[in-house]
Amino acid sequence: MRKVKLSIAIAFVALVLGFLITLQMQTQKNVDELERIQAQRAASISNFLAEAQKENEELKAQHQALTVQLEEARAQSGTSPALQAELDLYRMMDGTVAVQGPGIVITIDDRAQEHKLVLPLSDENLLSIINTLRWAGAEAISVNGQRIVASTAVVLSGTSTKLVNQVPITRTEGVPYEILAIGDQDQLLNYFNTIEGTSLKQMGMTVNVTRKTVQIPSYKGTSPVKDPNAQ
Amino acid sequence: MNLPKQGKVMLTVAGLILGFLFISLIRSADTDSTTTRTDTTVASLIQIGQENDQLRQDIVQLQEELAKFQEGQNASKVVLEQLEKAKRNAGLTKVTGPGVRITLDDSPDRDIEDEDIGLYVIHEEYIRRIVNILWHGGAEAIAVNGQRIMANTEIYCSGAFIQIGQTRQMPPYVIEAVGDVSYLQSALNFYFWDRLGEYQKQYGIVRTLEIPTEPIVIPAGKPYQFRHAEPVKEAAKT
Repeated sequence: MRKVKLSIAIAFVALVLGFLITLQMQTQKNVDELERIQAQRAASISNFLAEAQKENEELKAQHQALTVQLEEARAQSGTSPALQAELDLYRMMDGTVAVQGPGIVITIDDRAQEHKLVLPLSDENLLSIINTLRWAGAEAISVNGQRIVASTAVVLSGTSTKLVNQVPITRTEGVPYEILAIGDQDQLLNYFNTIEGTSLKQMGMTVNVTRKTVQIPSYKGTSPVKDPNAQ
Repeated sequence: MNLPKQGKVMLTVAGLILGFLFISLIRSADTDSTTTRTDTTVASLIQIGQENDQLRQDIVQLQEELAKFQEGQNASKVVLEQLEKAKRNAGLTKVTGPGVRITLDDSPDRDIEDEDIGLYVIHEEYIRRIVNILWHGGAEAIAVNGQRIMANTEIYCSGAFIQIGQTRQMPPYVIEAVGDVSYLQSALNFYFWDRLGEYQKQYGIVRTLEIPTEPIVIPAGKPYQFRHAEPVKEAAKT
């Protein structure tokens, strides 16, 4: 009698196992297929990216060579230094020239960590940080490599991707946010720490600020201001 | 346990199979990590694509300028053209055109004794958000209470007043923007306008949007000096 009971139990277990194995094999087949498609897609995107990066390097080299030639041509043609200085000033103001100088580097990590509740950085947080740096007299600001100009908008695309100058600023490696500012280092540091740093830390983020001589890239978008004389 | 030998073997086999199943299940649960990697790759692809476009544009401009020099054109004329453009883009010229005018004001029926007085007034954040949205909607130029918004303009609340471009501003706050009216309006509607509408209903803050028939005039901003930043010279790097 006990033997019969045992056999029934084992038969039942075997049945369930058989069912599970079949199910698993089926799932595995689907998963493999999915993985293959994803790998293909990732590979084609990486290909695009590699091509774009190669093109980027070529363009940069070409750009630099031309700039050098042009600076020589300007020097030879006797463009007045005063005029050139004025042009430099306006270009620093409209953000179309890369600038360097003493400033601060802010890094913000809002990724979840163990035993720590972290509220992610919002678009409003970013706007507030930019505003505080402006108040602290920053002469140039960038967020993840995007130069902040007058017409810079910070908006959310979807639920988490932030667009700055209409470009997604998601970083593939390192700390999620790196903000650079040029100006009076003490003032930038104090204003940022007092007004922004403390509350960001309270939200659980890891915030670091260091003094550094920084280089801030130029604005790469087009200016919204139209030429009133153009057709 | 008192099991026959056969039973033990079967249990071992069953255990092995179960283990295998678990591992493959865990593996299949892991597969979405590749999707997020694809997302960030797409983001950097857009970034680099935009930079390449800009570089191409720049290169064309540089070539044109260089050609003008080589043709022996008046060098200062070339520089003057660039000067005009940079001045315009920096916000140092007046801008006139169609656009929108938004007025925000504190609630007239606020009770000073009320603990929630903050809900009845206009905060710097509201102005900042509206300005941000108007830029997103393609505004050419923006002024708040006649102060042109430039790259370094702060909109900062220091208690009794809001400081805008180093001037003290009191309510009502009039935000004017020149640009494509339908784009500006749809950007507003999409992002923040409705929320302000809620505050209007609940606390009585003033929120109006006008589309004037006469052109809006945004005044020129004032130039400022750079004491810390200097341009990066390409030639100096080589």
